[in-house]
Amino acid sequence: MDKAELILNLKKQIIQYVNILDYKPDQIGDDLPLFGPDGLGLDSIDALELSVMLEREYDIKLTNPAEARKIFVSVNSIAEYIISTKSSE
Amino acid sequence: MYITDLRAISPQATFDAGGLQDHPTSHSGNKYNAQEPDYAGLIAPILLRRMGKSIRMGIGAGLPLIQNQRNIDAIIIGSSEGGLEDCIKFLNQIVLYKEGTLTPTNFVQSTPNALAGSLALMSRNTCYNITHVHKGNAFENALIDAMLLFEEGKADTILAGNVEEISDYNFNIETLAGQFKVEDSTSENLLESGTPGTVCGEGASMFILKDKADDYLARIVDVAQISYPTEEEILGLIMDTLKKNNLRPEDIDTLILGKSGDSHTDVWYTAVNRKLFQEQSIFTFKDLVGEYPTSIAFATYLAACLISGRNIGWKLILPPKPIKHILIYNHYKGVQHGLILMSI
Amino acid sequence: MTKNIYITGFGCISPIGLNADENLRSLRSGQDGIGRSLNLQSRYSELKLFGEVKADTNSLGAPIYFHQIPGLTRTDLLAFTAFNEAIQHSKLTPEEISSHDTAFISASTVGGMCLTDELYADANFLSAGSEFVHSYSGAAHTLQIAKFFGMKGFTNTINTACSSSSNAIMMGMRLIRSGRFKRAIVGGAESMAKYTINGFNSLQILSENKCKPFDIHRDGLNLGEGSAYVVLESEEVCSHKPHLGRIIGAGNSNDTFHPSSLSENAVGVTKCMELALMDAHILPSDINYINAHGTGTQNNDQTELVGFANIFPVIPPFSSTKSYTGHTLGASGALEAIYCIFSLIHNELYPNLHTVDPVPGYCESLITHFTPEVKLDCVMSNSYGFGGNCTSLLFAKS
Repeated sequence: MDKAELILNLKKQIIQYVNILDYKPDQIGDDLPLFGPDGLGLDSIDALELSVMLEREYDIKLTNPAEARKIFVSVNSIAEYIISTKSSE
Repeated sequence: MYITDLRAISPQATFDAGGLQDHPTSHSGNKYNAQEPDYAGLIAPILLRRMGKSIRMGIGAGLPLIQNQRNIDAIIIGSSEGGLEDCIKFLNQIVLYKEGTLTPTNFVQSTPNALAGSLALMSRNTCYNITHVHKGNAFENALIDAMLLFEEGKADTILAGNVEEISDYNFNIETLAGQFKVEDSTSENLLESGTPGTVCGEGASMFILKDKADDYLARIVDVAQISYPTEEEILGLIMDTLKKNNLRPEDIDTLILGKSGDSHTDVWYTAVNRKLFQEQSIFTFKDLVGEYPTSIAFATYLAACLISGRNIGWKLILPPKPIKHILIYNHYKGVQHGLILMSI
Repeated sequence: MTKNIYITGFGCISPIGLNADENLRSLRSGQDGIGRSLNLQSRYSELKLFGEVKADTNSLGAPIYFHQIPGLTRTDLLAFTAFNEAIQHSKLTPEEISSHDTAFISASTVGGMCLTDELYADANFLSAGSEFVHSYSGAAHTLQIAKFFGMKGFTNTINTACSSSSNAIMMGMRLIRSGRFKRAIVGGAESMAKYTINGFNSLQILSENKCKPFDIHRDGLNLGEGSAYVVLESEEVCSHKPHLGRIIGAGNSNDTFHPSSLSENAVGVTKCMELALMDAHILPSDINYINAHGTGTQNNDQTELVGFANIFPVIPPFSSTKSYTGHTLGASGALEAIYCIFSLIHNELYPNLHTVDPVPGYCESLITHFTPEVKLDCVMSNSYGFGGNCTSLLFAKS
């Protein structure tokens, strides 16, 4: 999958899964921190929602919470993780 | 204890009652849905996104009250069921995804104490925080809890209130249990229908209660509750409650009765009316907001508006005699009965 | 001076015993009740470990089905079992139970939703209405008991998630103190349900191993079930009875941090202990033992230890008996209250099982072996729930 297309899809899915329906995909920067006060402001429950998103949308199951923290930094980091996981399959 | 401030989100235009309508909103069918305000400005979008209707209504009515006080010493909520819509969404996820990886938000938000917790979280209030879920007496028990705290000297100001929402969950289950009318009805003819069943309502009524107050809207003098009583026991409980507060039935000028239009259970109100209170002005409220386990909270809201003359959203037709003492008598399904005695 | 409030009876059913005596035997012998689930119809029955009551629903119901009450759930049956034992233990007469002077305050989180599949069908109109349409709510078990025993006094049900039955005990104490009631039967009931298991699983805090509270390698909790009730009586109505202990104080606070986890600096955990100590007019140094909430999750146990360090210059002996029972949610506060009363009666402490590497710096006083012949005057029991709800109870020798 083309990375730009993947990133756009991810933004749409994130908006659905963490229920920030008043956001448009272009309001979420590729490298905007998803967590913390300087970014989208998501919290630990959202991290779990994102894990569910990876499993349901991309068939990727995260088992290690520490690993999840490294992946869910930004849309870009999630996209890279998906690409590397899919290419190694 | 004294009510010094109040807000309600209900099937009536009770919230932001700026405009005064001639008549209350009329509802028809078996669902009396709440008229919810625009929450933007009340609740930050990042928090609002997770809130089901019950939490939204509870926060919408309760948080502004908290914010208008310097200090709140307790948050006490009465809610039979809490976030039922979240509950059924999570339930359906369990089945749909065959107990696979599920999203936790619905689960966390479905716990009935999510509202009290959210009110505390959003107002940074680390004080006493309790949710009573005793179905038809959950709100009475919240008030009794508040009275205890005042007596203990552990609070000066308390937020107490209720919330209940209509969801597919409770509506469908209660329909199967025969709780609602088979035929169509409207607010105007609900109470005189003479048929079994009632209609489903929802809402949140929130109150600032104070132990001492010079300037107040109404006084809650006493609260009592009983389950599975006989008619004799209900009449006895009413007489005992009045006596304890040095009142006789004739001192009560206004009754608020929880008549729901259900021919099976409205007989309780008829009996109390006929045997103890024949001269009093009578108000009802389930024709306004429908039936739900903690609907007596709305009756308390109505009583406070009647006593204080506060704008409720429509023109209340007041009795000719001035109101001094109101007795609210309500039951849920004839099983749990509650009394709230209010005064000027 | 407030009157003494005595514990004059209790009853419990849990993963480590079908009555109070069996619970005591298991506590002393270090026998936990955690394993695979036999009763639960869930894909996790075989994947995770649970604290299941070792009786199927039919055998639990045998003494009660006789009365042909429709719509009884497992939660109701667990509640009936423990309630019955408590009133018998306290030798309450039927008149005392139904008296206007007796309050009954119960607690549950799942309530009748333990029937997850029936609920799904009824709530989605996939059935014509099961016999359980009146059974699902949190208050259903309380009302069933109140009806069965003809209780005419105050009845209540509290749901503050995992601190629910601690708050039921707290309210019972306060109602007696206020002079409104002479006696309160307080506690809670919880049965394992597909609903709660999937909920906790979605939060990724269910362990596949036996939970090991306060271990640096702890990896989550085991869900459990059970029921426990305690009879509290004002001194003027129980002078003729054995006094098993006293409840001397309670405190409740909100952590104001997060819907499903606790703050790092232990705001609510610390404050509820402070409030309980103030309520009882005692000092931290008067506490001889703490029955910790100790669920075995990283977040809970770490916060609780920070809370202990905030309050106690020297942390007293403590343990989590959830290592025996798993987390029985709405029943846990009352169940652990009974374990505290056992400690006070028998002058002994029950250990924190399964813990190999206790969190360094905090756990010098973690009890890891059954400890008889200790001097105990006053013990603390803590419970914390979702929504930031934190409750601490204090019990003393009679």
